Amino acid sequence: MSQIKRLVLDVLKPHEPTMIDVASAIGDIRNVDGVNMSLYEVDQQTENVKITVEGTDVDYDLVLRTIENLGGVVHSVDEIIAGKRIVEEEETLHDRG
Amino acid sequence: MSLNLEAGRYVILGSVDGLLATLGIIVGVSVTTAQNSVIVSAAFGGAIALALTNGLGSYLAESTIEYGKLSITEKSLLRDLSDTYIESQTRRKIIRDAFSSGAASFIGSLVPISPYLFSVGSPIASVSLSLSSLVVLGVYAGYLSKRSYIISIIKMVGLGALIVIAVQLLRIGHLVR
Repeated sequence: MSQIKRLVLDVLKPHEPTMIDVASAIGDIRNVDGVNMSLYEVDQQTENVKITVEGTDVDYDLVLRTIENLGGVVHSVDEIIAGKRIVEEEETLHDRG
Repeated sequence: MSLNLEAGRYVILGSVDGLLATLGIIVGVSVTTAQNSVIVSAAFGGAIALALTNGLGSYLAESTIEYGKLSITEKSLLRDLSDTYIESQTRRKIIRDAFSSGAASFIGSLVPISPYLFSVGSPIASVSLSLSSLVVLGVYAGYLSKRSYIISIIKMVGLGALIVIAVQLLRIGHLVR
């Protein structure tokens, strides 16, 4: 299995624990170098956040377990970068149109 | 801060309950007897019963409300939150609040009893000490609510005085003579 370098997740979470708590908990996972978390929708009981995790060898199962333990639900994996180096998405003619 | 407020609610509730109910017992029983041992026994019995009922009552009420809140969150998330960090925090909060309530009630109860433990017991000493403690509780309530300390103190002491007057006027002790 090649190493996961970047993981972008769409997550639904309760207001408590806060984004700070969740980001810190993910940041504490081994091989995680950094976490970005942004809020894009707030409801009465929940909030939708986009979580970007980068590292040398991100353990997806551990990230998933951490989010679920904090009450979150992973709706989708929106982007994944794996392998020896980070490969960014290339713009195609279709995207330009 | 919200944690302090939550704990503060049970500290005030338990202390006021323990303090005033025990003071009521002391004032009521002292109408029938001047024997310190009888007054202390009745007051201690009341203090222990109050601590247990306040603790258990808070536990039952908090369990109902907190698990109700958790189930609303579960519905929104479309998932079960059993064995998660959130559930463990909920359990901790329930136990902490129940303990705060029971312990505050017992400590509050000791205030009107304490003059009798140091052989200077009289209803007047208990009332004076209790009203002084209510001043301290009033300051604490004012600090938590960020409102006027004076109004908080007046409310607390007024409540205490009202209970002493009510027990005195009813003269419940005479009914059991």
